[in-house]
Amino acid sequence: MIQVQDLKIHYGDFVAVDNLSFSVKPGTVFGLIGPNGAGKTTTIKAIATLTEPTYGEIMLGETSVLHQPEQARRILGYMPDFPPVYDDLRVEEFCDLFAHAYGQSSIERKEKVEKALAQTELTTKRRELCKSLSRGMKQRALLAKTLVHDPSVMLLDEPGANLDPKARIDMRKLLRKLADQGKTILVSSHVLTELQDLCDEIGIMRNGKMVVSGSIEEITQRKKSARTLEVEIAGESSKLSEWVEQWPTLSELKHRDESKTQFDIIHSGDREEIPEILSQMVRHGIKVISFTTRKSKVEDLFLEIESGSTEFDQN
Amino acid sequence: MNPLILKGIRENLRFKHLIAAGLFSLIVCSTVYLTAFLQGSEGKFSVNPETKEWVKGEDSPVNGARNAFTFLLALQGFYLMFLGTGRVASITAEERESGLLDYQRMTPMNPLSKIAGYIFGIPSREYYMFLFTLPFLGHAIIAGELPWGNIIHLYSVFFCSVILYHLTAHAVGLVVPKPRAASWVSRIVVLGLYVVLPGLGQAGISFLSFLTILPTYFGKILPVIQKEGDHKKGDFDYESQITDFWQDVPFFDFTISPTTFTFFMQGLLILALLVTGYRKWRNQALPALSKPSAFFIYSIFQFLLLGCLWTFFDRGEASGLIGQELSANEFYRKEERIMGLILVISIFFSLSVLFILCLINICCPNRHLYLKGIQRIAKFNLARIPRIADESSGLFLTLILAAITLFTYCLLISLALDSEAWELTSTFHSLSLIPAAILMLAVIYLQASRELWFNLGFWGFVGLLWITPLLASLVIGVGWGEENMSLILRLLAINPLSIIPMHWMYEHADIGNLPEEITQNLESAIWFGLLIAGVFASVLQARLFFLRKK
Repeated sequence: MIQVQDLKIHYGDFVAVDNLSFSVKPGTVFGLIGPNGAGKTTTIKAIATLTEPTYGEIMLGETSVLHQPEQARRILGYMPDFPPVYDDLRVEEFCDLFAHAYGQSSIERKEKVEKALAQTELTTKRRELCKSLSRGMKQRALLAKTLVHDPSVMLLDEPGANLDPKARIDMRKLLRKLADQGKTILVSSHVLTELQDLCDEIGIMRNGKMVVSGSIEEITQRKKSARTLEVEIAGESSKLSEWVEQWPTLSELKHRDESKTQFDIIHSGDREEIPEILSQMVRHGIKVISFTTRKSKVEDLFLEIESGSTEFDQN
Repeated sequence: MNPLILKGIRENLRFKHLIAAGLFSLIVCSTVYLTAFLQGSEGKFSVNPETKEWVKGEDSPVNGARNAFTFLLALQGFYLMFLGTGRVASITAEERESGLLDYQRMTPMNPLSKIAGYIFGIPSREYYMFLFTLPFLGHAIIAGELPWGNIIHLYSVFFCSVILYHLTAHAVGLVVPKPRAASWVSRIVVLGLYVVLPGLGQAGISFLSFLTILPTYFGKILPVIQKEGDHKKGDFDYESQITDFWQDVPFFDFTISPTTFTFFMQGLLILALLVTGYRKWRNQALPALSKPSAFFIYSIFQFLLLGCLWTFFDRGEASGLIGQELSANEFYRKEERIMGLILVISIFFSLSVLFILCLINICCPNRHLYLKGIQRIAKFNLARIPRIADESSGLFLTLILAAITLFTYCLLISLALDSEAWELTSTFHSLSLIPAAILMLAVIYLQASRELWFNLGFWGFVGLLWITPLLASLVIGVGWGEENMSLILRLLAINPLSIIPMHWMYEHADIGNLPEEITQNLESAIWFGLLIAGVFASVLQARLFFLRKK
């Protein structure tokens, strides 16, 4: 649904986005991650028709954002990273304004506003002036405004930034539900744990470039660097440490959480080698209670990218 | 209803606003109106010729209502033109800065509907306050026996002006980043464009006077108020001089009524501002005017200049103070008339060059935009950036604008040379070649400097090159004028706008009886100015060329 191809955005001599390409399938949530200044907001603004790219193409289905911005705007919903609202409008008037601007009839508007307020749990706040809302509530009002014209593509820049934990969980559920209904959602966030549960795919950006993108599993598999094996044993640990020293691709046996029976072992070999390690361990007389490969979390991936790791296969 | 107008009404006219603004307007309006009415209706004191005593005349409600009408109009202008204009600019800038404007930009509403929504929705409270003046207006018209036809003329122009000012404020709000700055900048721009600039109407360029409501007020309302007023024959009648002045507008060989001409002028400006607003709403990054619209607007500007100056150059007749004072009049000496001609020519050139400077500022691409153009032609396999594209170099447009100016100038000097009113001794070639050369060179270096340095560098360059030598020559002139005349003239000649009057003075040195030494200094200063312009034009263009090649 969203197809970004060779996108370049220059501000004078500064290159904000450099040769960026990625795609988001319909009905999926794509998370854009990166440090400050990576180009996430600029990319989202370009897709939202608010920043004109220097070069490249952005397609929303069959619609070109650059050449048919009016058509693109009809299917887009955009929520910026800070929540500006019309302070002197009531919450329902704020949503109604946008439903009206998107050409809906008064009956249709009433229904859509009602639905958007219910989805964002703002029904009880509908008569309040926007200026009296907390930041989190403003964020919800903004989401309601984004939903009111039923866009098929939603661009959300830091949607959970100002929300309390419960509201964050509610928003995550709502976005998931919207994606399941077929909406394409592109979300940028610094709350990385949130993305792990929400996103079907992620893209990590650095210095205007996409360093890696795909599902979290795919990225983890493509990761060439060492992984951690979590092992719990019964009995003496000396046997395990002797055995680890002999195995060439295993290193750094560490006690986990001050436990005497739980260990982290760094493995730098291929994934295919892992079943063999387990069977040899058992054959060697080590009493294995549990054996798991720790899944790399989004945070781990992000931190590695942030630290300048180049150990990823480029797309 | 337009959603943005509805939004403006909801934001600005809640119950508490309705009460507060309504009461405020009612109190202020009734105070102003009643004070003016009572003061105006009082009978005037005069001396009884028989008894030689001061006698008070009869009170006249008609005069009172007429007197109050003008004050009421001023109050209405304050609400809509001052308060409303500032509000439109500041709210537009505030929404742009906060990002709210982006939401609106993303809605599929037509940009023109968005503009209408902003300029009618934001000042809804001011329109509401205006409503409270209407009962008083009705009273003033009926009690003052003012003709409805003239009132309709006046209020048509009044609302046209209000729309123009609010549109200007909206355009300023879309450009100036800080909301408070935008509010004041818009008021200053409105004052400059619609109060200061019309002052140049007094210098024969009458069309500039018609950017305001004043011509219609002076031409249509003042005569009516004055006719039934209490002015006596033999008194110095300042008002009748003003009304005579605004009765009709000379344009080529015709005259046009002030209201029609005001509609024409304001309509053109509204059109230009709508084009700007439309482009900015579509994409904030676009220049305010496209190259074709800049060409179109400048052509109309030159047409208006030509129309207004036609009779002056042809027959020595013009409107405004300069027309009255310096027209070919048998009581004025030839050299005084020539000085008037030089003054008008200088104003013509200054206005034209300043307009071109603004268009260069708007339409010439910065490096980022030019780079975008290069990348796009690579993408679409084009040989070069199309000339009318925003991304293309502004040189072609700039040269066309200069050529249009020269065409107008040549027409005007042909008229003057053929006219018996001026008795010029120069030839067409001698009067046209130097101005043509300096104008072309000036626009070439201005365009190059704009595309090389863009904002700060460009305006710094223009300021240093055009203003600093003028200031230096002023200081030298005051302190050591006589012995440094050659230096002063050379410093002046660095500014291309000064070369035009210098050249005309040089060409008509015989009529002005200029001393030989001054004539020689003028000649060398003109060539010096041309040399400076030539050096800047070639160096900056070469620099731009190599930079782009790189």
